[in-house]
Amino acid sequence: MSAVMTADAPGAAAQRDGSKPRKAGKRGPGSGAFWLIAPALVLIGVFLVLPYLNIIGMSLRTTAVGAPYGAGFTLANYASALGDRYVLGVLADTLLLGVTTVPICLLLGYPVAYHLARTRSRWGSLLYVLVLSPLLVGVVVRSFGWLILLSGNGVINRTLIDLGLLTTGLQLMNNRLGVTIALVHVFLPFMILPLVGVIQSIDPTLEQAARSLGASRLKVFWRLVLPMSWPGIQAGTILVFVLTLSAYVTPVMLGGAQVKTMSVLVVQNLIDNFQWPAGAAQALVLSACGMVAVWLYARLTGRFMKGLQ
Amino acid sequence: MKNFSRRDCLQAMAAAAGMSALAMPCMSLAAQNLVVNTYGGRWEKFWRSDLMPMFMKTAGVQTTLDVGLGKNFVANLRAAGVEKPPYSILMVNENIASLVRAEGYFEPIPAAKVPNLANVYPILRNPGDNGVRGIVSTIGIGYRKDLVKTPPKSWSDLWSNPEFKGKIGLYQIGNTAAMLFLLMTAKLYGGSQDAIDRAFAEIKKLLPFTQADWSGTLSTMLTRGDVTVAVIDFPEIVALQKKGVPVEMVLPTEGVLAFEQSFNVLKNAPAKEEAYKYLDFILRADVQEMMAREFFTSPTHMGSKLPPDLARDVPVSGERMKSIFQFDWAKVNPQVAAITDRWNREMK
Repeated sequence: MSAVMTADAPGAAAQRDGSKPRKAGKRGPGSGAFWLIAPALVLIGVFLVLPYLNIIGMSLRTTAVGAPYGAGFTLANYASALGDRYVLGVLADTLLLGVTTVPICLLLGYPVAYHLARTRSRWGSLLYVLVLSPLLVGVVVRSFGWLILLSGNGVINRTLIDLGLLTTGLQLMNNRLGVTIALVHVFLPFMILPLVGVIQSIDPTLEQAARSLGASRLKVFWRLVLPMSWPGIQAGTILVFVLTLSAYVTPVMLGGAQVKTMSVLVVQNLIDNFQWPAGAAQALVLSACGMVAVWLYARLTGRFMKGLQ
Repeated sequence: MKNFSRRDCLQAMAAAAGMSALAMPCMSLAAQNLVVNTYGGRWEKFWRSDLMPMFMKTAGVQTTLDVGLGKNFVANLRAAGVEKPPYSILMVNENIASLVRAEGYFEPIPAAKVPNLANVYPILRNPGDNGVRGIVSTIGIGYRKDLVKTPPKSWSDLWSNPEFKGKIGLYQIGNTAAMLFLLMTAKLYGGSQDAIDRAFAEIKKLLPFTQADWSGTLSTMLTRGDVTVAVIDFPEIVALQKKGVPVEMVLPTEGVLAFEQSFNVLKNAPAKEEAYKYLDFILRADVQEMMAREFFTSPTHMGSKLPPDLARDVPVSGERMKSIFQFDWAKVNPQVAAITDRWNREMK
């Protein structure tokens, strides 16, 4: 159980020094740990917190023509983002896209992750490369690939028509289906990799013990492996969900005019219309919704994971 | 602590003077160094390999290339502010330039400093020479020769030919070409570019149509036959023809649209004289012909002559430049957000 070991390591080291084990959360500027994380803190401060504050400031400015923003401050950008049924519909669609992509990724990714974690084959590293392969090609190129496969006269439709299985092509893109297919393809590695790590840390002898005590394969999976892989499932699902919410290129290329996501609206406002205040407000509404969803999810799934700690 | 004597002071001053003397050549070089912006891909390659070396040789100006998208350049400009612009001259689509112009970044170009300005087609010169459209890529109708029985002749054929129902490819509204198409529809059906309501009503009649985010997607759709007719820039059609796709371009009888690269000199340019030299270079007849050969753009110099082989690939030049639809972007810009929003809601 290497994960648990590493978590214990700092405390163990402190005890070896003869000092009292420090309580987590009490790390002032005096401790070594503080100075170790200081560079990361500076980085986060300068490149994450400051820009975020800037975005918040921008979202409160008034709109203007002939200037990036007007003189005064206003809440109107939030009012028009939250009070508009069209924008709310796009927001709901975006969240729904996340909610559909995540379980598909989990269902497809879990068996692969389990196999990768348990395989002793010398082809194991090749499998890793295959899993990572969607990340080795730029997202625009990948989406073009799906365009050629899924379009009305695309490879899939042509093959089905030529085989006589269909008379007219199926609508596979410029809709939610096409976007979901491409998103699952892109984000699958983000589900598989955290799962592999966690499943590897489950001692295989535990499964053997359960089997020898008479549990069926299904029961071993259901009662032992699945509950113990919750940390991986939680990490993977959150990653895929958040990435789906913020995906831009794939929805733009495969969604056509039919699938609009919040990121598409935000980019339209910021880049195409130069409406920085409105775009900033929409971006913040999206990230707030994402954060609330992740927080709720982490609270709910935290219950499953209590027994593991 | 040692007292700071007059000799020390003189020494320090001499040292400082020496340092500044050392720094001088770099500084004057820095002032001469002109930041030139262009787009990525083939544009960047052409600027690096052909245009910049040629410009450096003729004008003796060092240049630094800034590669990006028009909208990024504007973001850079706004981040720096009117007083300290990072560019001396900026090339962006005229509709974007018009927006920045309203924010007070640019100033009129003195004709005396840029002799070639006098040779630019008058319709491409902005009022008061506040910006000039220096590179033009025309947009018309492209169609699949093998999949269309009656080739289109005019814009109105998009509405009247039943073959095209459900087979039309347009750009998404974020692309300048979609806005151009909307304004043209307003002019053709409503009498002026202000007839936006009428344009929406007419374009809705074309539904369902495919909307592409950029030209690469539209080209793919045409190649695959997902659309058989498209509102597309001619250079894109020529590129498809060279790849063997059976496509043809049509100059609609009503006139053509165009992506117009607007060149604007910054009011507080760090290297204004160099900027004028660069603009004059871009507007030269031979440079315009070079660009026509590379990008199939329409030369903006009235004296440019295209050889017959090139004239086939660049359908709009010479007298035909007059057929380019012109719009008043200053009137459109305040409505862009509303138009985009309405397009999102209605065109699907």
